[in-house]
Amino acid sequence: MGGDLVSASHIIPAGQDAESFQPRPQDLARIREARVVLRVGVDYDLWLDKLLRQAGNAAVQRGGGGYIDASTDVALLDVRAGGIGTADGHAHGRGNPHYWLDPANAEMITATLLEALARIDPQNAKRYEANRLAFLARLDAKMREWTEALRNAPPLIAYHDTWPYFARRFRLRFVGVIETRPGIAASPSHLARLARLGKQERVGAIVREPHEPKRDADFLASRTGARVVVLASTVGAVPEARDYLSLIDYNVRALK
Amino acid sequence: MSDALAFLALPALACMALVGIHAYFGLHVLKRNVIFVDLALAQVAALGATAAFLLGHSPQSVTAHAYAFAFTLVAAALLASSRSWSTRVPQEAQIGVVYVVAAAAALLLVDRAPQGAEHIRQILTGNILTVGWEELAWAIALYAVVGLAYPFVARRLKAGSWLSEFAFYGAFGVVVTSSVALAGVLLVFAFLIIPAAIGLLHASRFSGQLAIAWIAGSVTAVAGLALSYAGDFSTGATLVCTYGAALAIAGVAHGLRLPQARGAKLEVALRLGRWMTAALFAASGIWLMIAPQADQPVLDTLERAFPAIGAAYMDDKSRAIRADAESHARRYRDEAQKLRARETERRWKGEPLDEAEVRRIASFQKSYNEMIKGEEFVMAEVRKRARTDKRWWIAAVFLLFAISVVVSLPGRSRPRPAAARTPGGMAPPADQESRARR
Repeated sequence: MGGDLVSASHIIPAGQDAESFQPRPQDLARIREARVVLRVGVDYDLWLDKLLRQAGNAAVQRGGGGYIDASTDVALLDVRAGGIGTADGHAHGRGNPHYWLDPANAEMITATLLEALARIDPQNAKRYEANRLAFLARLDAKMREWTEALRNAPPLIAYHDTWPYFARRFRLRFVGVIETRPGIAASPSHLARLARLGKQERVGAIVREPHEPKRDADFLASRTGARVVVLASTVGAVPEARDYLSLIDYNVRALK
Repeated sequence: MSDALAFLALPALACMALVGIHAYFGLHVLKRNVIFVDLALAQVAALGATAAFLLGHSPQSVTAHAYAFAFTLVAAALLASSRSWSTRVPQEAQIGVVYVVAAAAALLLVDRAPQGAEHIRQILTGNILTVGWEELAWAIALYAVVGLAYPFVARRLKAGSWLSEFAFYGAFGVVVTSSVALAGVLLVFAFLIIPAAIGLLHASRFSGQLAIAWIAGSVTAVAGLALSYAGDFSTGATLVCTYGAALAIAGVAHGLRLPQARGAKLEVALRLGRWMTAALFAASGIWLMIAPQADQPVLDTLERAFPAIGAAYMDDKSRAIRADAESHARRYRDEAQKLRARETERRWKGEPLDEAEVRRIASFQKSYNEMIKGEEFVMAEVRKRARTDKRWWIAAVFLLFAISVVVSLPGRSRPRPAAARTPGGMAPPADQESRARR
């Protein structure tokens, strides 16, 4: 959207787990110089709050003109308001934070971003808008291709509950997750249940991300006859995911 | 049952193999007082594998393993050389330094490698539950070679020499690198230290210590695996806690085994247990009188185990309010669950939900969760008020119980004099008295 008008950098190195990221001193310098900070929100990047306070750049503080929470207008899934519960699922009280994996949400995210860019740099607002519309047109064309490619995808099991938005958009069925509580290894009875379910529902693939343990997915695959598929949830997590469109492209091809 | 067997057979076999080699090295580690050496060597191996990955080698390749092995040998040489300083700087301190430097260096390297953290994680966070037959077969073969070769080599080297130290750390480093990838750092530490400690407690000769360590380690592993399956607990963490419990039991058994003090130890243990129970209840009673609205861990635990206790100190009105709040909270939970199930199902089945419906469901879920919290607040408040009203009674019961535990303690029994024979074969006076009474 920014094209050559914007110089963008990211704090979390490509392929690292954002939920367990530890900021470095240079990140402070980057935030101090930034005019806009764009965050995922939904409790996904809580460490950013402290970093923003330390950087002392008023423009990008919560409520400042350069502070953008991309989740603002997104319809969230798996909402469990009130914080972390004891039930299974993702440990985020406000909802599952992986909303960008639904390409349709890009419309909302880019609208939020456009609003902020137009506010900060009103002279170039028209160019930002044109860039956004061009991006959405490309996305729309791709969306039809992706939907068609995943039309008859088999049921899946995921290592971590990263994929509800992706599943909803492409009508995929995830019958279970291996890691029901982040960071805690699955119990043998849970794995036995998943293996039973996997065979019963004829699960086609066990889905994991590159930073998630290989052996757990391999183990379940050997018990269910499913294959293991490595999906990427962020740009740069695998070499093929160079930008947003190629990220979704890669995931669709991997599941096809 | 068949599911449990199918899932636990291979992990059980892996545990036996790990106990087999680690109990042996554990006895050496405890005697040398280098308790955390396994963590340091595993971390150094991870550093080696990360360096290999940065240089472009696949993490599973032979080259990456060679790097890990070479780094471990360097660390072994370093530890063997620094043994001579241990009179001035304890070797545990040196091991700690090796560990933190290796861990920090690995983090710095990871920062330069995309997906780097994954490879360190693969080396340091094995999972005994998902161990495969092929990797286990490799590990067993490796353990067999090291287990047979190391004692053979060690016997031929002068004890305390640099070569002897290097052979120990090198052999142990090779084992631990493989086992940490199989079972994870925490569990390997438990396999290494706890069975060996049990062996040391219950035998004085090396062969006896090793036999006891093997038996105790294997039995504990089977118990831990069964507990993990039955209780739906994470396997590694359950096994470590089971090993901790096994060591505690072995410690108590050791105390009771001492023949000259068997009776006295048991009595001391019982008296201590009763005094502690009495002190706990007395402190809880006093705490309840001082701060009835604060957390009351003993009363809470008792109420969780026996819900009738909670009902006993509440009046009819409080009981009714609590029951009403409970039923509402249950209803809200069911509704939230139904909504979630409906939304999850419609992701793939039937007509998809549109954005407005998804938002509506999310807002309902938020409301239900807030209402559940409200009902939970009501339940907690009713309980606090009932406790405040009846605190003197509840505290009195606690104090009475504490006093009864103390009062019912038997008097300290005097040790019976040894049945010494008097000159001329006469029985001691006590015996004479009792016979005269009969």
